Amino acid sequence: MASNPFDSDEDQSAASGEILEGFLCPICRADLKSIDVLTDHFARQHAEEEDTLKSVFNIFVKAKKKILNNFEDERGAAGSSSSTAGGPSANSNGNGADQRVLSNARSRFNVFNYMSKQQVGAECSHFEYFQSVRNPRLERYASETNKLIIRLHRLLKDLPSDSVQRKQHEQQTVAWLDGSSVKLCPSCAKSFHIARRQHHCRLCGGIMCNDCSKFLALENAMQLASLSTSRSEPLQQMHQGDRAIRLCEHCLWLLDTRQDMHESRTCRPLLVQVYEQIRQLQKDVTPDLDMYLKIINSLHEGETIFTITDASALRGKIGQVAETMDMRSKRILAIYCEPGSREESLKKAIRLSCIQAIKERMLSLPPLPDEALIQQIQERKRMETEQRILTEQRMAMEAYERYGLGATIIQSGGGLESGSFAQGSDLQSINNWSAPQASTSKSGLDDPLIEQINIIKGYIKQARQDMNFEVVETLELNLRELQREVYERQRKSQNSAASPEVEQQQQNQS
Amino acid sequence: MNLISGIKLYIEKMCTESGPGMKIILLDKETTSIISMAFSQSDMLQREVYLFERLDSGRSNERLKYLKCIVFIRPTKQNIQLLANELRNPKYSAYYIYFSNIIPRTDIKYLAECDESESVREVKELYADYLSVNPNLFSLNIPNCMVNLNWLPDALTRSMQGITAVLLSLKLNPVIRYRAGSQAAQLLAKMIYEQITKDSTLFDFRSNMDGSAPPLLLVLDRRDDPVTPLLHQWTYQAMVHELLQIKNNRVDLSDRANVPKDFKELVLSGDQDDFYGNNMYANYGEIGSTIKALMEEFQRKANDQKKVESIADMKNFIESYPQFKKMSGTVQKHLCVIGELSGLSNKRNLFELSELEQEIACKAEHSAQLQRIKKLIADERVTIDDALKLVALYALRYERHANCDTSSLLQIIKTRGGRPQIVPALIEYAGNHVRQGDLFNMVRITDAVKLTRNLIKGLKGVENVFTQHTPLLKETLEDIFKGRELDPVFPAINSELVPFRRPPQEVVVFIIGGATYEEALAVHQLNNSGYKIILGGTTIHNSQSFINEVLSATNGIQFKHTKSMIKYCSTDNI
Repeated sequence: MASNPFDSDEDQSAASGEILEGFLCPICRADLKSIDVLTDHFARQHAEEEDTLKSVFNIFVKAKKKILNNFEDERGAAGSSSSTAGGPSANSNGNGADQRVLSNARSRFNVFNYMSKQQVGAECSHFEYFQSVRNPRLERYASETNKLIIRLHRLLKDLPSDSVQRKQHEQQTVAWLDGSSVKLCPSCAKSFHIARRQHHCRLCGGIMCNDCSKFLALENAMQLASLSTSRSEPLQQMHQGDRAIRLCEHCLWLLDTRQDMHESRTCRPLLVQVYEQIRQLQKDVTPDLDMYLKIINSLHEGETIFTITDASALRGKIGQVAETMDMRSKRILAIYCEPGSREESLKKAIRLSCIQAIKERMLSLPPLPDEALIQQIQERKRMETEQRILTEQRMAMEAYERYGLGATIIQSGGGLESGSFAQGSDLQSINNWSAPQASTSKSGLDDPLIEQINIIKGYIKQARQDMNFEVVETLELNLRELQREVYERQRKSQNSAASPEVEQQQQNQS
Repeated sequence: MNLISGIKLYIEKMCTESGPGMKIILLDKETTSIISMAFSQSDMLQREVYLFERLDSGRSNERLKYLKCIVFIRPTKQNIQLLANELRNPKYSAYYIYFSNIIPRTDIKYLAECDESESVREVKELYADYLSVNPNLFSLNIPNCMVNLNWLPDALTRSMQGITAVLLSLKLNPVIRYRAGSQAAQLLAKMIYEQITKDSTLFDFRSNMDGSAPPLLLVLDRRDDPVTPLLHQWTYQAMVHELLQIKNNRVDLSDRANVPKDFKELVLSGDQDDFYGNNMYANYGEIGSTIKALMEEFQRKANDQKKVESIADMKNFIESYPQFKKMSGTVQKHLCVIGELSGLSNKRNLFELSELEQEIACKAEHSAQLQRIKKLIADERVTIDDALKLVALYALRYERHANCDTSSLLQIIKTRGGRPQIVPALIEYAGNHVRQGDLFNMVRITDAVKLTRNLIKGLKGVENVFTQHTPLLKETLEDIFKGRELDPVFPAINSELVPFRRPPQEVVVFIIGGATYEEALAVHQLNNSGYKIILGGTTIHNSQSFINEVLSATNGIQFKHTKSMIKYCSTDNI
């Protein structure tokens, strides 16, 4: 995450569609309560990352500007081909992230390609109407419940343990209804007499018989009123029968519903936590899977951007994720639950889907290609390119001859020779960058381009270590471009065949 | 116009709208079938739906407050009541409620009053209210839709709801035409029209803005073409349905001998099984060669796997194992099905039978055919059901023929211990007095075009004796797309929409009394040549289910058109 925060950031928001609110850090998405804390946090935690990131992506822009400024006139003459080549890669360096999102979208369409043709059918939402009926009712309940909670709080705050005092206290908090005119129990309609006495709900003061009374245990009541139970030492000494509050059915139901809603919102058992870890793993590994396929394809194409070690490193990483997922899902299975319950089948289903995901997405990846084979392909491709360059040069020579520009033939022939020489060193340097470190760093002092190349090489190495192959790809492409630029420039300066400085530089390089 | 993706998109929508997190889905009996036709269980698992439960199952009170609940049910009174109970005592943290059809506002109000713990997050109508059998074929799983040759009230409402759901999920606001003279078709067309006018905002698709002809909904009656469901079929899907019966994309082989344990119940879904998807319209012969090729490929792969000598081989094996396993499953499944089919075909002498069936349906050669029928139905190898089908076809074809000899054939059936009452019932259900199209190509001299067409057909000869017959539906559809005058045979109920002599671009056909896979094949062929047709029926018939429907539709009515067969009628009908 730290090595390329922008990417993971985007991935998360795109995939989950989850919307967070508050003072969020754009990189680590932590909620930081206030603007001051946020700026402070950003300055301290992400200053460094920010720099690296900026410099990585800005480097090419700068390099290009430099090239354009320094050699604009030369390019104007012969640079039409290189500028067209520069076009697409300029895109790719600026919009690396966008491109990846696109490719994700495409792979989704491959899975559901039949869906891309058809729109979702008609639909009709009734939720607004539903809310318009539901919400006024709920609000009424909510205010009623809040009133009860406040009363409960007052009632429990300093509840005397003595029963007489307690009754007094209760009546002070909530006025009891006058029961003299009530002849029948309002809920069961049985008449009151000596055996069936009147009782009062301690929260609304309503009247009912003993059979219709409900009881709320004091411990629960304390919790509801958000009072700590430890404080209430005297309550422990009460009689068993006194350690509850008499309530009418309605009040108890209101309190129960409230607690239910509260629970369902905050409920996060172990199962959920482990499950979320699995989903996170699954989400994180998806770009890696795509990347792996891309690397394998590119290797088979004979491109040299990625190496076999890249592929095998990434494969190893994917394998590790698969293993962790497997372990986590086993852990879910191990959580105790009642046999035959819904929870049990839930856990089995989760495990099943994990196994499926691992099997279908991770184990079915194409195997690593044979190293010798890849080398062969690369060799062939290189030969082909060289062949093409040679034929192109021959064609150019023929054209010269046809126009009878005999005088320039020798010169351009010389240019060609050194040109192909320069390319040779170029190729060599691609394969083995660390060797000519000393010489390049020396010449790098007077050539900003070489300097840039070296910096990029450093970044590539870094990115490879972090297994950030997106970046590797972008950097490699840009490296190629810079190298071509250097090569172009050298040829140009030789063709114009004048300045002794350039010649000297040429010697330095050789 | 793809029904399966229509349903899939809806279900996809349900799963995404409820956001990330573990989910349970609550269904009723019908929506369970609807979902299972479009998605496999593992597809649903990938969408984080881990539990499936019937709303009407005897439910335990186990609470799982960390689960989200998707409710997808038909808006019936019983379902609303059950859902209300669930909401009063919610077991899950959040409810996303989807109804498969139009729901009265009073029901919404009732549910809103029950949601006292504020757990409902969405209430929506998503019109996935039909079973998508093929991309171009839907069914409503109503085995018998008629009683006394008229609609069963429940079947009528269900058909109306099913068709409106198809129209809504494909976003069509059609011209509605029905079979003139069919009371059932007229009634259904009228009800659909009333529903569309009542909820006109829903059907406001503005598709006619570009001036193209509006789509067409054609309500037909099975009684116009009783022949197609009686014929034996030779394309894969139709043949499996005829011989083994497909129910909700599933084939039950549990009562067959020699079937491996894993294949007691097979899922045949063109969407999940590529082999089936590519071959469901292929002929029996073609499938034989296709499966042979598949077998060879499989064997080659299996042989490759056997050579596990080095570590590299072993690694290779492990890596390609999942695909290998999947492939071997497919091969075995279809081998098993085709083995059953070929066994039955030989045992029941189906080749000879089917040839004669096709001849009766397509050619008028009374005496020769009568002789062959007599010979075949006396043959012990021919099952009594197949013999009855032959006689039924004969009776339908030569009902008005001067030398019609149905009674003597029925006598043979009776002595063999069959149920001869089926034939008079079928004549009452779909005899000459009911039918309007010309089912048997009865050519009148006046119809010069048809006469020459038939002549040319006769000269060309038939390519395949088993597939001579084309269903009446194909001809009807061709007429429609040619822009023929429809009003006399198929009057429109909302004629204000009818364009002047322009054929429609999209057609939805609904057959009261059930469609067949042969008709689905005809529709498929037309679609391949660029038309857009959807076929549906109260159910998908094979010959047995069709005969059952005929018997239940004619049960208890007095037979008026079959006096000559009176001694073979069942006593209820006299």
